[in-house]
Amino acid sequence: MDEWKPNPVVKPHKKRSWYLAWKYKLMNQRALRKLCQTGAVLFLLVTVIVNIKLILDTRRAAYEEEEESAQDYDDEMLNVEVPRHPVNNKKVLDVEVYSSRSKVYVAVDGTTVLEDEAREQGRGIHVIVLNQATGHVMAKRVFDTYSPHEDEAMVLFLNMVARGRILIFTIKDEGSFHLKETAKNVLKSLGSQVAPFLSWRDMWTFVGKKGGEVYGEKHAKSPALSTWGDPVLLKTEVHLTSVEDAECHWPDTELNRRRKRFCSKVEGYGSVCSCKDPTPIEFNPDPLKDNKVFDVPVAVIAGNRPNYLYRMLRSLLSAQGVNPQMITVFIDGYYEEPMDVVELFGLSGIQHTPISIKNARVSQHYKASLTATFNLFPEAKFAVVLEEDLDISVDFFSFLSQSIHLLEEDESLYCISAWNDQGYEHTAEDPSLLYRVETMPGLGWVLRKSLYKDELEPKWPTPEKLWDWDMWMRMPEQRKGRECIIPDISRSYHFGIVGLNMNGYFHEAYFKKHKFNTVPNVQLKNVESLRKDNYETEIHRLLGEAEVLDHSKNPCEDSFVPDTEGRVYVMFIRMEQEADFTTWTQLAKCLHIWDLDVRGNHKGLWRLFRKKNHFLVVGVPASPYSSKKPSSVTPIYMEPPAKEEGAVAVPAVAAAEQT
Amino acid sequence: MQKINRNVVLALLSLTSLVFLLFQLCYYKFYLSQKNGAAFSKVRGSQSGQDSTRWHVVRKFLGLISSHNIPVYLIDPLILGLINKDIEQIRSSPDGPSPECKYFCAPRDFTTFALLDKTWKHEVGLFRTAEKMGFQWLKIINKDPRLDGMDDLSGMEIPLHYIFKLASHAIHLVVFYERSGNFLWHGPLRLKQHMDRKFVPFRKLHFGRYPGAYEKPELLLVSIDDLKVQIPKNPSSFLQEMSHSRFLECRYREARAFFQLYPDDASLDAVEFRKKAKSLLHLAALTLNNLGVKFWLSSGTCLGWYRQCNVIPHSKDVDLGIFIRDYKADIIPAFQKAGLPLKHKFGKVEDSLELSFQGEDDVKLDIFFFYEEDDHIWNGGTQAKSGKKFKYLFPKFTLCWTEFVELKVHVPCETQQYVEANYGPEWKVPVKMWDWKSSPSNVQDNGVWPVDEWDEVIQIY
Repeated sequence: MDEWKPNPVVKPHKKRSWYLAWKYKLMNQRALRKLCQTGAVLFLLVTVIVNIKLILDTRRAAYEEEEESAQDYDDEMLNVEVPRHPVNNKKVLDVEVYSSRSKVYVAVDGTTVLEDEAREQGRGIHVIVLNQATGHVMAKRVFDTYSPHEDEAMVLFLNMVARGRILIFTIKDEGSFHLKETAKNVLKSLGSQVAPFLSWRDMWTFVGKKGGEVYGEKHAKSPALSTWGDPVLLKTEVHLTSVEDAECHWPDTELNRRRKRFCSKVEGYGSVCSCKDPTPIEFNPDPLKDNKVFDVPVAVIAGNRPNYLYRMLRSLLSAQGVNPQMITVFIDGYYEEPMDVVELFGLSGIQHTPISIKNARVSQHYKASLTATFNLFPEAKFAVVLEEDLDISVDFFSFLSQSIHLLEEDESLYCISAWNDQGYEHTAEDPSLLYRVETMPGLGWVLRKSLYKDELEPKWPTPEKLWDWDMWMRMPEQRKGRECIIPDISRSYHFGIVGLNMNGYFHEAYFKKHKFNTVPNVQLKNVESLRKDNYETEIHRLLGEAEVLDHSKNPCEDSFVPDTEGRVYVMFIRMEQEADFTTWTQLAKCLHIWDLDVRGNHKGLWRLFRKKNHFLVVGVPASPYSSKKPSSVTPIYMEPPAKEEGAVAVPAVAAAEQT
Repeated sequence: MQKINRNVVLALLSLTSLVFLLFQLCYYKFYLSQKNGAAFSKVRGSQSGQDSTRWHVVRKFLGLISSHNIPVYLIDPLILGLINKDIEQIRSSPDGPSPECKYFCAPRDFTTFALLDKTWKHEVGLFRTAEKMGFQWLKIINKDPRLDGMDDLSGMEIPLHYIFKLASHAIHLVVFYERSGNFLWHGPLRLKQHMDRKFVPFRKLHFGRYPGAYEKPELLLVSIDDLKVQIPKNPSSFLQEMSHSRFLECRYREARAFFQLYPDDASLDAVEFRKKAKSLLHLAALTLNNLGVKFWLSSGTCLGWYRQCNVIPHSKDVDLGIFIRDYKADIIPAFQKAGLPLKHKFGKVEDSLELSFQGEDDVKLDIFFFYEEDDHIWNGGTQAKSGKKFKYLFPKFTLCWTEFVELKVHVPCETQQYVEANYGPEWKVPVKMWDWKSSPSNVQDNGVWPVDEWDEVIQIY
């Protein structure tokens, strides 16, 4: 087309249009006309070609883009995504609640959220908290109000639930025997008509909104003492509110977003979800100067006790010198709520498919957690091991920072532990004092990587061996005569009451009165004297300085130790050979310290405090320190009570007690 | 007038074509502008405006990460290649002003940076700021391989790659993790189903096709093109490392299945042997790495890694392979110095060389030297008492990194072929009785050493 130009020589006639002139000329110039026609045909051809090319190009471009990501970069694993429940736009929830002697269940919109028909379990009042906007279950609890004090726990729990939440109550078997007036009043204030008159073996269901309307209540009276009320089934409807109404309006920060996610999912954590004045979830404790444990990973071993974990992590994150990035929480099982707690604090959590049962399960969980810790932090030489039912002292990391070099340099050490088995309110005194002991206390301790990788991990008890990991670690084959360093006043506090090897009585007897350091920045005394040889020198110095107590008196009596302060006293007990703890056990019993097995000994010597005096107990003649006994003194012998109260199984206390 | 009609028809047709063509052009342009800018720039070629865009995007990105105190370093192979040419000058005047935009304006689709995972706290704030600055970003997360070897642990997924896109340029941020064995690892880039496959042309990324293993780099703060940025202190060795960085994860799932079928030997002997084999391997790796000799896990040790991610407890020795071209005369004295006396030496450098060192308590370290031919690779064996020679044939292979008993070591990338050549298709079944002269499926008789050479080619200590 470009080649063609109108002949400039022949000018078009004025009166005719350009086209006509052109046509005229074409008609008259055959050659030119031919040229023009060929040009047009060519042009058509070109257009067709360009069109085809364009179409092909576009196709290919699109195809390439698809390909580009499709080939190498596709996730090989088919992403099996659990189909999400469609967003529930329904404004009304159907709630079904059943109460009977042997079975309770709660169904929300046809989904069973609680079902308990196990025998001899789940007695009492079951409480379920639903989110008033989404209908999700936020908390599930059972309070055995047949037994004492459980009603107090229920009141505590109900008080912590935010206003507006939907509460569902149902009784299994019996729930009134120890349901006191206070608790009944709380239930009444929630709108229950029946609660104040609940009595022996009544069946009862109730659905209501905290601080609002009542959706339904049903009750069946027990006709006689020996029989139960008829099963009751309550069917009702609950009207949902909008999401905005169900949430607090905290300022939009990263922290508050975490808080919001947490508080819309779970209930029963009190002021952390308070709209007005929520308790902080970031603590920023003072950093430690010259912190030697800043890069030491911290493994928190947890089960399904989210409330414990919450309390534990709060205290851990408030400890001076904590490094949240090094903390990993290992949850034994696919429990959601503990994971929610972990995420609330912005920590990382790992779930572990349970292997084996009971103690062996705990043991396998420990192994997996420790291995994972050293995998995640390959440069670490140590790991701090904590459990979910411990409070952590404010100077926990300061204590470790001052002592960790010993674990690195002294081969005769097995661990550093924050827990003194014998450190009770009345037997521990000096926060700056450390001991060497032949037992492994656990409950917040430091593990050397080389010990784990070279010795423990390859030999760790297999799942079919139903062993406690801590008992196993205490066995001579593992410990090989090495010792642990412990503080006089513990840097951890064991608050767990519910657990695998734990119950309320046991806790009260052995753990409640344990001393726990609350003083920040304690400067440890004479850390170097804890090295193997130095420690012997130190003990000999102490024994040399110690006053021998009057061995004619009864060591269980308070008067056995004079009313002084800051003195060092020594007593000698009979200990025929290394494993003879007859007298020690009796002494421990009457001193109200740990007597279930031998703890806290170092070469037949125990160190503790009585009446603010340092109190040394030496086993004669088994202990090498027996030579310090004046010849005039006869070691005290205490006989075990004639009749053993059956075989008392020694519970493994240091293990993380999972329920 | 037929002739006129034809003309009119032709003219009309041409006109329609023209209109149609214009329409097509418009449509094509419209189609392209919907695609990302990179694709468009690909079509239009580089222009000066594009050059400064890259520089600006990099500058903005560096500003973004420095405002969050996140230490990143440059690992872009294109730019490091350019820097490498002027490295002396850049090192000597780290603060010198640049007369022209020499590096960050170079034509490319991406600029790649590295981030060490442990040096930042995963603050969400970074991404909010990024969005405010106009970046679009994409995060690629996946399973944590450090937990993969563990039975049934499921951690949170970890971020492996980030891509920040602004205008027509994108920043690829590769997250590096520390692994046992004292090295850095980055993950593969795999898109999940719901992800935007067209966010950037993923294929052109320099990192992410495979996972990679790297040494911890020493860094150098330099100022280039008026931007302060950290680079590996020795860019050329980094680029060298990058070309051989492909990492293979152990096949933990298959290993677990193997142990389901054949429960692991947990006897004290097995524990002891594994411990010794591990420390022997660590010592051998240290010695060979100091000499700069490339080696890989071979024979039984390789099988142990591939089949069960562990040392085979009944294997009784540690086997390594070395290409004969990497042979150094210092190898024997170096091992002796490390406390591993030579036990025997078979063959010679030209033919069938094999060294054996005595480790602690009967654990032996065997080093086989591999000879490359056009279509296969082989190593030799010698029977001491008869002087018989054997040849073990392998298909050609390349080397990949892996992690084994807390060590970063090489294995053949084509491991299955390698193992199969050596142990036959039944390699998945443990065999306790193994005769190195007859059991391997790739063994060939290779004649006999001439008797007068025996003193040289059969040395036993």
